[in-house]
Amino acid sequence: MNQSIQTQSPNNVSLLISQSRTNTLGNKTGTWRFVRPKYQEKTAPCSNACPLGIDIAMVEMFASRKDYHSALNKLLMENPFPAICGRVCFHPCESACNRQFLDQSVGIHHIERFIGHWGLSHAKNFDTYPELNGAKIGIIGAGPAGLSVAYFARRLGYRCDIFEKSEYPGGLLKSGIPSYRLPDRILMDELERLNNDDIQFKYSQSISMDQIKTLNEHYDALFLCCGDAHSIALKISGEQHSIDGLDLLHQIRSNKMPVIEGTVAIIGGGNTAIDVARSLLRMGAHPIILYRRTRKEMPAHSHEIDAALKEGVVLKECLSPIEIQKNMNQLEVKFQCMKPGDITDGGRQTYIPDGNCSVTMPFSHVVSAIGAEMDIMWRNDQWELSMSHCQMKRIADQPVFWCGDLTTSEKTVTHALASGKQAVIAWDVMRNQSQNEINHICHQCQVGKGPAISFDIYTNGERKNRNNTEIVSFERVNSAYFPKIPAIQVNKISQESCQNSFNEVISGFDETQMMNEASRCFNCGICNDCDTCRIFCPEMAIQWDKSNRHILLDYCKGCGICIEECPRDAMNLEVEP
Amino acid sequence: MKEVLEGSHAVSEAVRLVRAKVISAYPITPQTHIVEALSEYCADGRMDARFICVESEHSAMASCIGAASAGVRTFTASSSHGLALMHELLHWATGARLPIVMAEVNRALGPGWNIWMDQSDSLSQRDTGWIQLYCETAQEVLDTTLQAYRLAETVNLPVMVVLDAFFLSHTYEPVDIPDQQSVDKFLPSYEPRISLDQQNPNAIGQMAPPAYYMEMRHSIQMAMQSVLANFNDVEREFEHVFGRTYGPITPFACDDAEYIFLMAGTSASTCRHAIKTLRNKGHKVGVIKLKMFRPFPYLYVRKSLGNAHKVIVLDRNCSFGAGGIFAQELRAAMYASGNHPQIYSFIAGLGGRDVTVDHFFEMFDYVEKADYPENESVWIGLNHDN
Amino acid sequence: MCKINQKTISGSIMASKYPSNDYIMPGHVACPGCGAVIAMKFALQALGPKTILVIPACCWAVVAGVHPQTSLKVPVLHTAFETSGAAASGVRAALDMKGDTETTVVAWAGDGGTFDIGFQSLSGACERNENFLYVCYDNEAYMNTGVQRSSATPYGAQTTTTPKNAWKSHRKKNIIDALAAHRIPYAATVNIAFPEDMMRKFKKAKDIQGTRFIHAYASCPTGWRIPSDQTVAISRLAVQTNLFPLYEVENGTDYTINYQGDRPISEYLKVQGRFKHLTEKDHSDIQEMVLEDWQLLNDKSS
Repeated sequence: MNQSIQTQSPNNVSLLISQSRTNTLGNKTGTWRFVRPKYQEKTAPCSNACPLGIDIAMVEMFASRKDYHSALNKLLMENPFPAICGRVCFHPCESACNRQFLDQSVGIHHIERFIGHWGLSHAKNFDTYPELNGAKIGIIGAGPAGLSVAYFARRLGYRCDIFEKSEYPGGLLKSGIPSYRLPDRILMDELERLNNDDIQFKYSQSISMDQIKTLNEHYDALFLCCGDAHSIALKISGEQHSIDGLDLLHQIRSNKMPVIEGTVAIIGGGNTAIDVARSLLRMGAHPIILYRRTRKEMPAHSHEIDAALKEGVVLKECLSPIEIQKNMNQLEVKFQCMKPGDITDGGRQTYIPDGNCSVTMPFSHVVSAIGAEMDIMWRNDQWELSMSHCQMKRIADQPVFWCGDLTTSEKTVTHALASGKQAVIAWDVMRNQSQNEINHICHQCQVGKGPAISFDIYTNGERKNRNNTEIVSFERVNSAYFPKIPAIQVNKISQESCQNSFNEVISGFDETQMMNEASRCFNCGICNDCDTCRIFCPEMAIQWDKSNRHILLDYCKGCGICIEECPRDAMNLEVEP
Repeated sequence: MKEVLEGSHAVSEAVRLVRAKVISAYPITPQTHIVEALSEYCADGRMDARFICVESEHSAMASCIGAASAGVRTFTASSSHGLALMHELLHWATGARLPIVMAEVNRALGPGWNIWMDQSDSLSQRDTGWIQLYCETAQEVLDTTLQAYRLAETVNLPVMVVLDAFFLSHTYEPVDIPDQQSVDKFLPSYEPRISLDQQNPNAIGQMAPPAYYMEMRHSIQMAMQSVLANFNDVEREFEHVFGRTYGPITPFACDDAEYIFLMAGTSASTCRHAIKTLRNKGHKVGVIKLKMFRPFPYLYVRKSLGNAHKVIVLDRNCSFGAGGIFAQELRAAMYASGNHPQIYSFIAGLGGRDVTVDHFFEMFDYVEKADYPENESVWIGLNHDN
Repeated sequence: MCKINQKTISGSIMASKYPSNDYIMPGHVACPGCGAVIAMKFALQALGPKTILVIPACCWAVVAGVHPQTSLKVPVLHTAFETSGAAASGVRAALDMKGDTETTVVAWAGDGGTFDIGFQSLSGACERNENFLYVCYDNEAYMNTGVQRSSATPYGAQTTTTPKNAWKSHRKKNIIDALAAHRIPYAATVNIAFPEDMMRKFKKAKDIQGTRFIHAYASCPTGWRIPSDQTVAISRLAVQTNLFPLYEVENGTDYTINYQGDRPISEYLKVQGRFKHLTEKDHSDIQEMVLEDWQLLNDKSS
């Protein structure tokens, strides 16, 4: 086997030496390995926590690169109203964010707001609604749930008629959430996304259960999104002296400012109570929230409670009203003192009356904000389909979906939007395949451990290649690649302005702040082209081919460095088949 | 141009004339005059070369290997322990097939420290694959160095030009120094057959597993086997340009000789005097001066030994346990021929001890009287009082 | 969408472009996860194609390709074990005589061939201020011959010639100080977990005339008894614990420290098989040594 270099000298002197004449590409060192690397994107914990299952890691990636168009499209895949949610969502994503274990969570909420806001000036009208598919649906209620149904349904080709009992769209977005949290202008601009000939709004049309049966003849499916229209009554003596919190907010929003001065009691611990308190403060009153348990148990969003207290709202805990008595121009309210009782099996702290301890306080007004419930006619307990965020029952042989606050356990804007999406997808599966397929298909479209489902995956977007059940934990993030950088503080108006006006409190990030904050995102579980794998591969087995990164399996020895170094857990090591 | 030159400087002049480009050397007596002259030439511009003052002989050979691999003509010189230190790399230079030329001043190995003439150092390296050419006069030193480059670059094997410590390195003789033009005609500029290639990046000298190694070694042997023919071609050219020739061996009065001395180096001059005296006494005796030792020119030696029935080999070296090395090599060379003269091995002149005409008479007397040679080499000139 | 050139890529180690062409080809026979290959990868990226490598006996002598193969896209001269300094001097002299002043001559040797057997020829070359770049890729033992100790093996390590019951009780030779004493124009330490710093230093060294020495930390999963995917992680820890500080020495006198670490040495020791036998007392002894060396280095750099 004489393959040495042979150089002929003029005198034919033999000259075979050790010298290269070929390269090592002929050695297929891939045969050495017993494990092999694979690019496998996974679900970020923020997406897993998001009720809408937004592909947050991707959004931040695009945002940090100033590719607002792509960022917005990613948001709109799962959420029609980013500019709104970026203001009113309770951002469970930030609580789940892996970055908190390094320094502080990424400001996902304010980044969504920025992108949403960009959308309002650059891409207000949604321009890629597809052709119609021939079917038509009816939607009762133009609140967040109903609007969400319309958006996703139209994106699947359905014609939509929305019946709204008031004269305006938006529901609680318009009448319930104060403008210092959600300015009217933003709401109206955002709703232009639904400007489409095949989405018809029918205002001042209140629909009752009897009318459902008639409507059924005109629509292939109906979606009940009327929300909880009735405030829950205090059910104590003198309750007629109290003002309904939701009504009060509605009046303020309609610019019919009622005159409320002095010390005002607000009974309740939810978002409505907070909204009422902060609104009254701006109107010059002195709001005091009285809650039957402690701050920890208040169902209102924690950051909202913080904001309220900072503005000067007073909170009195462990007081439950038992009686209201009118005394001249004052209202005297008697409260039962409460104390902690047992802790339930579920770990919840109960509160029980503290013997005979009671206290009476004078107020100029009493506002009741202890919750709302649905109209009796929508009550139902026999379902043909029961999902996490929607339920379905046939009425006169036609499917009717219950959505939004009617069905969700958590009554938030985001859950309502998620509910609409889930119902539309369930309906579309029913229509195109069968009811039996719904759970299976929704499971395939699930984000993380669910229950959020992804419209992107449902419509065969690239997200379907992601490993949705694997959620990236902080241990899998290689934090060596991320120097500690504290979160950027968002701009707010001054404390004084808060107390004096209904101007929006949070001004949001400017572009530089937004990009810096978005750059802090680890991009958990998705490949953001940092190229760390290719840079370190000792076999040169990771190569580029135009814009496609791939592994040369002929040479990869399975050392695993790429997986270990990947800053964001976008790769897996699997056993060599 | 004729000048009276020290033997060492004959080397230096030759190296200057061949236009060596990289000289790398470490001082050791008695090689120092060679490299000192060269460093002066480099400093004053008589030579356009880089002189590297390395920190050991091992590094001297290593940098010659590096420079030769990068495609330039190189030179180094050493002796004794310095040569011994280079041993590993002498093998390397051969395996790498680099045309390195080295002047080797034959000096004894210690302990005890001995700076004087002895052949043990160069002969210890006889297995390394270097061509070895032994010189007798300063002129021969200069001429052989010029020829060495031509030869080395033809066969791609390194060449050792050997000269006796002090007897040749530090004595002065008239030497005809050729002009640069003639040398350029005899030895054109160096066109390496192997070198590092920037255009088609290559690796040289890598690991060669069993499947490849043996052919490379065979190639070296084949090249060695072509040396004699190539040497003769080089000598023919040399004679044409400079009018001098030497041959792989120089026989003297061998045609009808019954006794023939064999040796290498300056002893041959002394021997010729002894031969003249012995001839005047009627003895048919001659001497072969061995110039080429590697490859061993057995055909020439066999032919020149003719029908002589006693060969008297002088070794100024000893391979302990086996005796004089030239004698061993001769025995091996003669074994395969039809002719089997008696080979008498004598060891004399180690560590600079003079070898005189009387010593040659002593050897002749011994051989004349002996029926057959001893198994062991006979040591001549020992002082039993020491 | 432009892929690589984005400073805003979260967690990217190369904000600047890392080229798509490498100077090493796949199919070489280095162990899986070899740190020395990663070191060569970054070195050649920084130095470019006008480079000639001189490689003595070491792991890379085999990784560079067994006859008749080569795994590199630059010329390579293989040379005897202790000769890198001298052979590189020879190559440089030849190129100079041929009028080539652009090609960088790089001696690429392991720790054995640099700290021990090759020290003489390296010292000789430094004293003569030979114009080449000498890179010692340090895997802290004679790895190619089976993990025997060298003078680069750290205190506390187990090797095949310093087994568990007689682990290496001499401290690692400070090669940078030894060579800085020759007043060479540039000496620096680099580490494969810090590629930007490493490539910057190679680029800087390339443009300096005279003898430049780079001490490259190149972890060895095989010899250090760590999983093959820990190569870069361990290298990072070495710097973060100040065991292998990143610094530069110019003209033998100006010391600049490039990175300040703050992790305890135990983090580094406890994850390597070659240190498994050490006790807590050993760990704290080593921590003291690290602090002492770090203090000495800081004194020199102020």
